[in-house]
Amino acid sequence: METMDKIIDYFVALNFAVESGPMVEDDFHNFEALNLPKYHPARDMQDTFYFKDGGLLRTHTSPVQIRTMLETKPPIRMIAPGSVFRRDYDITHTPMFHQVEGLVVDDKGKVSFANLKSILTDFLQYMFGDVEVRFRPSFFPFTEPSAEVDISCIFCGGQGCRVCSHTGWLEVLGCGIVDPNVFKAVGYEDVSGYAFGLGVERFAMLMHKIPDLRSLFEGDIRLLEQFR
Amino acid sequence: MIVTRSWLNEFIDLSKVSNKKLYKTFNSIGLEVDSLIQIEIAKKVVIGKIISCEKHPDADKLNVCKIDVGSGIRQIVCGAANVVDAEYVAVATIGAVLPGNFVIKHAKLRGVESEGMVCAASELGLPDMGKGIMILDESIGELEVGREFGSYEKIEDTIIELELTANRGDCLSIYGVARDLSAALDIDMKPFEYKQEDKIKLGIAREAELRNSAKMDADLHYKLATLESISKSFLVQLRLAMVNVEAEGKLASILAYATHTTGVILRAYDSRTFRNGRNKISVNPVAKAKGIIEIIGKEKVLSVVGVNQQEEAMANDETKNLLIEASYINSDTLVEAVSTTSLKTDTLYYKTSRGSNPDLDFGLAFFGYMMKNQSDVSCYEGSLNVNVERENETVIVDVNEISSIIGMDVEIGKIVMILQKLGFEINSMGHEVIAAIVPLFRHDIKHIQDIAEEIVRIIGINNIPAKPLAFAEKPRLNDTTERYRAKKEFKNRAVGVSFYENVSYVFSERALLETYGFSTIDETLELANPIAEELNTLRSTILVNLLNAVKRNVSYSKKSIPLFEIGAVFGTKREQKEVISFVFSGQVEGENVRNAGKPQTIDFTSFTQKIGAVIGAFELVPCTYDNGLIHPYQSANIIVEGKVCGFLSKLHPTVQENLGIPETFIAELDFDNLLPKHINATPISKFQGVYKDLSIVIDKSLNYYEVAKVLNTMELSMLKDAYPVDIYQDEKLGDKKSLTIRFFIQSMSKTLEDSDIETVMGQIMNLLQSECNAELR
Repeated sequence: METMDKIIDYFVALNFAVESGPMVEDDFHNFEALNLPKYHPARDMQDTFYFKDGGLLRTHTSPVQIRTMLETKPPIRMIAPGSVFRRDYDITHTPMFHQVEGLVVDDKGKVSFANLKSILTDFLQYMFGDVEVRFRPSFFPFTEPSAEVDISCIFCGGQGCRVCSHTGWLEVLGCGIVDPNVFKAVGYEDVSGYAFGLGVERFAMLMHKIPDLRSLFEGDIRLLEQFR
Repeated sequence: MIVTRSWLNEFIDLSKVSNKKLYKTFNSIGLEVDSLIQIEIAKKVVIGKIISCEKHPDADKLNVCKIDVGSGIRQIVCGAANVVDAEYVAVATIGAVLPGNFVIKHAKLRGVESEGMVCAASELGLPDMGKGIMILDESIGELEVGREFGSYEKIEDTIIELELTANRGDCLSIYGVARDLSAALDIDMKPFEYKQEDKIKLGIAREAELRNSAKMDADLHYKLATLESISKSFLVQLRLAMVNVEAEGKLASILAYATHTTGVILRAYDSRTFRNGRNKISVNPVAKAKGIIEIIGKEKVLSVVGVNQQEEAMANDETKNLLIEASYINSDTLVEAVSTTSLKTDTLYYKTSRGSNPDLDFGLAFFGYMMKNQSDVSCYEGSLNVNVERENETVIVDVNEISSIIGMDVEIGKIVMILQKLGFEINSMGHEVIAAIVPLFRHDIKHIQDIAEEIVRIIGINNIPAKPLAFAEKPRLNDTTERYRAKKEFKNRAVGVSFYENVSYVFSERALLETYGFSTIDETLELANPIAEELNTLRSTILVNLLNAVKRNVSYSKKSIPLFEIGAVFGTKREQKEVISFVFSGQVEGENVRNAGKPQTIDFTSFTQKIGAVIGAFELVPCTYDNGLIHPYQSANIIVEGKVCGFLSKLHPTVQENLGIPETFIAELDFDNLLPKHINATPISKFQGVYKDLSIVIDKSLNYYEVAKVLNTMELSMLKDAYPVDIYQDEKLGDKKSLTIRFFIQSMSKTLEDSDIETVMGQIMNLLQSECNAELR
C-alpha cells in the first residue's frame, strides 16, 4: 500500500485527479465500452469472476475511465487506483490485486504518443531510480497504438539474471493512445488522449524484492514489520 | 508462435542479420520474444553412412554397425531399434563432448568394441523427436559423409518463441512473420514460385463437384489427388519438433508443416466419404448459420469450416484418394458464431479464430510442393473453388494526423514505404493524403490509429522523442482525492498506535459469514464462478479476514497482533461501502525490562484508547450490533458526532477459543462517517473559568451516558464541559450508586461570581433530580 501511495503522490503532484468506481461492474463498463465486444479474443487474456445475475468483478480499473468520461467533459486528467479481480492463483497471481490506471484527454491533435513517452519515462525513474526505459509495441483493445513498457532490470543492471529471465528487462506497464472506439462509446468527439495502467503489487514486488505475491495478502506481521 | 531462423530464411534473406539484431527487431515491432534458443551441436559429431548392421551376438536389443564416418569405417554398437532402417545417421565420434558433459570414448559393449555413438535428437541438444536415432536425409542439405553435423544451417538453427498479441493472426505463420520482418528490416521477400505439375491430365470436374448454397461467407478451394506412397522427410520431423507442433502420421505432419509455414488452413479428406450414388465426389458446403459452414458429404456433416473435422473423414497415410481443402473464414464472424454453439474445436481453431491466411492458392501450392518431394502423388488438373466477394477495407490517411498522433513528423514517403512493405496498396489522394487499402490478412486494421500503430511499430517507439504535454491547468482536487488523503491520515495514525495495515481479499466464505451471523449477498446475486470454497462470496465484514490473519500470526509465534484494514464490504444487494476495522490480540506491548517480560494483555480501556487515537473523539453506548463475534458484556456502539458508526467489542470467548488465539478486541466502523467535516470555530472566552464537582446518588442501573444525555438537553451557555470522575457503590447504598461529575463553568462576558456559579449548579441539580431521580450525596 505504501507503493500505491508513492504512485498516487506522483500523479497528484502533477495535478491528476483521483477517481474511483465500484468493484462490481457490468459488461458495458468493463468490456464493451473498452472496445472489447463479446467473443473478442482479447477477452481470453482475462479470467473474469461473474455473478449469477450477469454482473462481474472488474478485471481492471479501466471501467473507472469510462465512468469518469461519461460523467464529465474533457479535458480530463485522472488516475484510478483500486482493487481488480482475476481468477488466478499462483506465485505471481492472486485473485485480487491493485492497479493504477491513468487517462489524459484533450482536444484532437493535442495528445500524442511522444507525450505518453515523456511522462512514463519520468514516472518510472521516480519510482525505480536511474533505470533505462524501453517501449515495445503491443496490443490492447482500448488503445491504438499500444505499447508495453520495460525498465532495465534493477537486480542485475540489465546484464541478465533469473528475475528478468536473462533478458535484462522487466515489464512494468502497458499504455497507448486511446482507441477511437472507446471515445465513440462515451460520446466524445474531436478529442485525443492517452491511457496507461500498471499493477501495484508487481511494482511492490520489484521495488522491495518480495518473492511471493500471495504473501502481500496474508497479514503476516513478519513481513509487515519490515515496512514500519 | 514459434519460428526458426532457417525456416524464416526460406522467405527472407537473413544471412546479414545477426540473432541479436533479430531479437531486437522482433521486440521493437511488437512481436515479443519469449525465448531465443540457439542450437549448438557438439564438435566431432559427423554425418555417417551405415555400411552394415548386424545383431549383437550376446544381446537381443543391440546392433553392431559398420559406419563410414569420412575418416574411416568404425564399428559402433547401437541400442536403437530403428537403426536397421537407417542409411545416414549422426555419429558422435571418439572425443566428442555431448550435452551433460558426456564424453564419447572407446567402449566395449557385451564384449564388442564400439568406437562412437549413433545419436538421437535429444542426445545432441535438439528437441525430442521421439524414440530412436535420427534417420537423416537430403532435406537438410547434401549429405557428405564425415561433415560436421552442426555445419548444416538447418540443424544449428535458432528457435525463437514469439508471444503474439490477440490481433496479430497474420503472424501465426512463418510466412507472416517473415513479411513483418521484411518491412522492419527493409529486406525484400523471396518470391515463392511453384508450378504444380498435375500428373493426371484429367480435369477435377470429371470426378468431383461442388454444390454450394447461394450465400456463403467462407472461401473454399479443393484439389483432388491419388496417393501411391508417402514419406516424411527428416526436416519436417525436426522442424515440427522445434516448433512444438504434434501431428500423427506422415500426411498429417506434412499438412501441419504447410499450415505452419503459410498460415493457410489445410485439411485432407478421404474422398470416398464424399462419393455419392452417381459415383461422383460431391462436396456440399452449407451455411447453417452466420459463421457456421458445414461441409457435407453423403448427407453427413464431415467438418465445420475453421472449427473441426470428423475423424471418419480424415485422410491418413493409407488413404489412396485424397481431397485437399484450403479454407478461410472471417475470424470475427467465426468466433461470434462458435461462442453461441457447443461445437468442439480442434487445434486449428486457434489460428482461424485469430485470422488465418486468406491466400488459399499459396497454401495449396506449398502443400503440393511439399508432397511432390516426399511422396508419389498424382493430382487432378485444376481445383474447385468457392470465393466470397470480399471488399478490402480502405483507410484514408492524412499524414499530418499520423504525425500528431505519434507526436513527431513522419514523411509521407516513409509512411507509404512502410505500408507497402506490410502488404497495403496505396493510392494518392492529393497533397499529404493517401488511401491505404488494407490486405485481407490484416483484418485488425480499421482506422487511422491502427495505421499509426503500424508506423510506430516499424519506425520503433524508441526513435520517437519524448515530449511533455502542455496542458491548460485547473485544480483537480476532487472528493476522491480528499478521501484518499483522509484515508492516508487514518492509516498513519493507526500505525502510530502500533497497528499494522492488513490487506486481504474482498472475498469470504459464505458459510462462515452465516455462522457468525453476518449478512450475506442475496443468493441470486452470488458469485457464479468462485476460485475456492473459502472465497466463495463477497465479504460483509473485514473482521473475519482479520481474525484469520491473527490466527496465522499466532501460529508464527507472534504474541502481540495489532492489525487494521480499510476496505470494501458488501451488503445483501451487493452495495459497496468502505469500513475501517481493527483487531488487537494478545499482549498490549512488547516484552521489555519495564514490564519484566510480562506485559499486560490487551483490555477494554487500552483498546478504546487506541481506537480513539485513530478516529478522534467518540462516545460509547451499549451495543446494539448482533453478530457472533461480539462479547455479551464487553461491547459497545461507537458514536461519532451523534451518529452510530460502528462497534467495538471483546471477541466472543467461544470464537476466541475455537480460533485458538489469545484475548482479542475487535472494532469495525463505517469509514464515511469518519471523514473530516467542515468546522466553524466557536468564540473563546477571555475570562477565568471554574471547575466544580457534584456528587449525586442514583439508581445502580443508570449509566453515565444516560445522565449525559439529560445534561446535554440543558441550554446553559456558561456550562462548557461535564465528565464523570468517580463512581462508587457499596452495601450501604444498596441498589444505588454514587456518581461524581466535574463541571467546567465559564462566562463569555465577565468573571464569574459565587452567585453565578450557584445558580448554574442549582439548575443542574434540579434537572438531575427531576429527570434522573438523583439525590445530592
